[in-house]
Amino acid sequence: MKKYFREISVAAALGILLLALAVFAPSFFQPQPLLSLVTREAPTLVVACGMALVIICRQIDISVGSQFAVCSVCAGLFAAMHWPLVLVLAASVLIGAAFGAFNGALVAGLGLPSIVVTLATMVTWREGLRWLRQGVWVDLPNGVQWFGLPQMTGQWTLVLVALAILILLALALKHFAIGRFIYAVGSDAEAARLAGIRPRLMTFGVFVFMGALTGLAAMMNTIQSPQVDPNSGTGLELKTIAAVVVGGVAISGGRGKLWGVFAGLLLLACISPALTHLHVEAYWEKVIQGAIILLAVVTDGLRNRRKSI
Amino acid sequence: MKQLLQLSAVTKSFGAVRALKDISFDLRAGEVHALLGENGAGKSTLIKIITGAHQPDGGTIEIAGERVGKLSPATARKLGIACIYQQPALFPDLTVAENIGLRLERANSLSRVNWKECRRRATELLRRIGADISPDAEIRSLSMPEQQLVEIACALGTGARIVIMDEPTASLTQKETALLFAVIRDLRGSGVGIIYISHRLEEIFQLADRVTVLRDGESVGTYFVGGSRREPAQMSPEESQSGRTSAARITEGDLIKLMVGREISQIFPPAESAPGEIVLSLKKLGCTAGGVKNMSIEVRAGEILGLAGLVGAGRTELARTIFGITPADAGEIFLRGEKVQIRSPQEAVARGIAYVPEDRRRHGVILEMSIAQNMTMAIHRQLFPGTWLRLGVERACALDFIRQLDVRASGTEAPGHSLSGGNQQKVSLARWLATKPKVLILDEPTQGVDVGAKSEIHKIIRRLAKDGLAVLMISSDLPEILGMSDRIAVMRGGTIAAMLPGKSAAHEVMSAALGQKGGAG
Amino acid sequence: MNTDQHGYKSILLRHETILFVVLAVEWIFFDAVGHNFGTYDNTCDILRHSCEIGLLALAMTPVILTGGIDLSVGSLLGLCAILFGKFWRDAGMPLPLAAACTIGVGALAGGLNASLIAWLRLPPLIVTLGTFSLFRGLAEAITHGVDTFTDFPASFLFLGQERWLGIPAQALVFIAAVIFFWLLVHRTTFGRSFRAIGFSPEGARYAGIPVGRRMAMVYVLAGIVSAIAAIIYTARLGQAKADAGTGYELFAITAVVLGGTSIFGGVGSVHGTLLGVAAIAVLHSGIAHALLPGEMAGMLTGVLLILALAGSTLPKMISGLRARKSTPRLAKQIP
Repeated sequence: MKKYFREISVAAALGILLLALAVFAPSFFQPQPLLSLVTREAPTLVVACGMALVIICRQIDISVGSQFAVCSVCAGLFAAMHWPLVLVLAASVLIGAAFGAFNGALVAGLGLPSIVVTLATMVTWREGLRWLRQGVWVDLPNGVQWFGLPQMTGQWTLVLVALAILILLALALKHFAIGRFIYAVGSDAEAARLAGIRPRLMTFGVFVFMGALTGLAAMMNTIQSPQVDPNSGTGLELKTIAAVVVGGVAISGGRGKLWGVFAGLLLLACISPALTHLHVEAYWEKVIQGAIILLAVVTDGLRNRRKSI
Repeated sequence: MKQLLQLSAVTKSFGAVRALKDISFDLRAGEVHALLGENGAGKSTLIKIITGAHQPDGGTIEIAGERVGKLSPATARKLGIACIYQQPALFPDLTVAENIGLRLERANSLSRVNWKECRRRATELLRRIGADISPDAEIRSLSMPEQQLVEIACALGTGARIVIMDEPTASLTQKETALLFAVIRDLRGSGVGIIYISHRLEEIFQLADRVTVLRDGESVGTYFVGGSRREPAQMSPEESQSGRTSAARITEGDLIKLMVGREISQIFPPAESAPGEIVLSLKKLGCTAGGVKNMSIEVRAGEILGLAGLVGAGRTELARTIFGITPADAGEIFLRGEKVQIRSPQEAVARGIAYVPEDRRRHGVILEMSIAQNMTMAIHRQLFPGTWLRLGVERACALDFIRQLDVRASGTEAPGHSLSGGNQQKVSLARWLATKPKVLILDEPTQGVDVGAKSEIHKIIRRLAKDGLAVLMISSDLPEILGMSDRIAVMRGGTIAAMLPGKSAAHEVMSAALGQKGGAG
Repeated sequence: MNTDQHGYKSILLRHETILFVVLAVEWIFFDAVGHNFGTYDNTCDILRHSCEIGLLALAMTPVILTGGIDLSVGSLLGLCAILFGKFWRDAGMPLPLAAACTIGVGALAGGLNASLIAWLRLPPLIVTLGTFSLFRGLAEAITHGVDTFTDFPASFLFLGQERWLGIPAQALVFIAAVIFFWLLVHRTTFGRSFRAIGFSPEGARYAGIPVGRRMAMVYVLAGIVSAIAAIIYTARLGQAKADAGTGYELFAITAVVLGGTSIFGGVGSVHGTLLGVAAIAVLHSGIAHALLPGEMAGMLTGVLLILALAGSTLPKMISGLRARKSTPRLAKQIP
């Protein structure tokens, strides 16, 4: 299974980490905190799925954090206005999709580089939100948190929703032609064009989808607390790009599997609580994260070198 | 016999260069029709016209008896024309099955992919051509021959009626070639018409029914091939009426003569003095990455050593090894008797070796930068001591070369992409002349250059040799090789096939390049 | 890569001219509308506050010119700041020595980026994403997240907080850096080779340019400049904390792209970057003085960036359409 080398190594690394925790810090495996951890990361997983698609398509989106924040706050505001939660969800998704469409229009329509476009939109949306909200949190009415269900039910619902999205997306990518089109465009946009695929439409669509997923994730995040923090989503872009890259999606596009992204995200997400339970200072988290990213990209580079000779 | 394809009086020019003149070509169902000609004879242009990548300036194209107005790549595909290039156009990160699936289907995004069906079809196609390739293998992990086989499977899968194969056996082993021939015979048996381009005469005689020879953009004749199934006496009425195919069966020697036979009407500047000492000496030089092995040649000061051979013979790879782009891992290089190690282009330049590359647009000139900047790019250390740019000096240097080489441009600051091919080549040449090299390697110095500029460049090259440079000139233009070289080294398969004197006959060079024994009778 | 080069020079000229006009408009507008905006004191203030980002943007320019990017400069600033504090306070070094050691660390960190990017040929975006995390993490780990370094001697704080010869002291360092980078990019063979590499790494290689060495150079320089910026930051704020420089890298990239440097490499200028930094700094200051919400500055910066991008793409698109008629060469190889 040389083909899945990266995904398997990440899963293996995760396994080793869990094993080490089982031996040295079994306190890590208490069900309730573990569930809370996984629930907290559920929205990140959803966004990471979208980011994986964007990067497979040979683009990048560093504005997801700001999109997330805006969608969260909007969702909170709508919920505070007592909209039915279904409508709130729909609104959040639509707003996210609109942001995505804006990015997509600039990148696919005008051919502008995605890193700079999303840098600009990231700053603009973030500052715009800060201006409008002035850092004020949104109080949610009763019944919004966990959809009004008991906490554990709510948590399990979110986790299952995130996993469902992951699985559905992975299946859709594999079994529907559009999945292959995205990989084709990321692998070689010109060859794709010659094969009858429309790279610009694909690119636009991928950004819109990214935005929609971000909106969904924002909703999933909003219902986890009684208030909405307008600073939510800080660092989301880096978390998700790291998870995607560690999980085996190449920044040059055209390759990568969603379940690798899942393993990558879990690995990176476990670092912080693992450190806590191993009584290591939490501040080493970023060091380890950075080291993992570098390790991932170095091994990629070495393997590609061997292949090209 | 059904006529699959008929080209009549097709012409095509690119600007001032005429690639095809009054070409007539036809292909029948169930035949292998070989296309033979030197590099630059017009084969690729002809193929591009058939596949719809280029539009002919004149003449007509008929497919299955019906005249086709404007052929585009998409319509050509629909009409059942498939072409298998030397460089497969596959998606490197996808699997074989995915690539075949994408090629074969015109699915819209929302249709479901039936993976079982897709894999089954891929497996089936691969089995039919006897390829031992897993449908789940990533294209990136396949070797070039394997990728070619996948391309052939794709062509098979699209149900093409006209299949064009461009040098398909160039990188195949004997066994793979045999398998390929079996597939081709299979296709032929099922009524497909195959246009087969190859330099390997033995293959043509093994496989082809007819062969058309192109020379300088014109068709020199279409002949039955000795190994054909049909006797010439059984020519069908249409054939004898069309009068296009000669009844005579052709031999190898005749083919070679047809390919090269022409009057060398160009006048090349003659050598004026005898060559001096040995400047560059290669002893058993090899580079596994480039496929070069056991190269031992010498170039003297004041001499032009022509390096002839077919595409893929390894000439550019040799140049790149000498110049340090793909450093040698075997053998030795001697400069003026001193053994040197060249591991990078900087080291080569420091030693006085200059290389004017074949790919002008990617390696010879940086298109976005100005003429002056391009010309001085290799001499920063000399022209700008202490790394300080002196724009005045740079401009003067550029003007000097512009004058010397007669570069037509709007000024020293004109960007590279605003120049014509010939002038770009002059800029590339100027860059390396500025380094005052001792060894100058030229790779296709006049490719894509118009006749006037060609002659100028030739004069310059001869003058450089006279000034004491050792010149190694790689060229696929036979008249150029014959007219300019003091000696000719012919490469084949990554090593030297023959060393010939400068006044050799064209067919001797061609024979050596093709690997035929001796001159043709 | 179809940039019209006559186009490239004239676009650059045009781009910078437009940016200069924007800058002038900003100045005039805020001078009229704001309180105390156009004063000498405020100008010094703007200068003082934009030195660190300005330094990072200057170092970022050659990196982007070679077609790369460095996301780790902000984190490296933080790491260098606390290391500077540590060298001085905990290792007892005299300040000049601590500064030299810090710059050494900066160079080493830049060297880490350089070796991965220039020699292993790994994608700069991901490598510097990794070091972005790594450096910040080291800074936090070394200080345990809480440690800060304060009580620097007044002679040191002078660098960040006082004026010398009438202008803020750090501005002198900045001006020196401006001169250095401008000369490096525009008047030396190094700058020429950066552009060549940005336009075509292969083409540069065939021309005998030592591509690996040049690329390594720009990343090591970025590291050194981050360290210098860290020292100035510490002097300005009077303290060194692990979160120093958060977000600075994005600011720097914004300034560079705003200034007309193409993210793909080859095209760009140091004076453009300067104008970019100035435009952003003046915008922020002006908005504050006009008593407008500070976030507006950020939003306008984003809008400016998109306009700048779109503006430089449009002429390229037009000339690209014009240049579509290329002369194909007589193919020796069938494509």
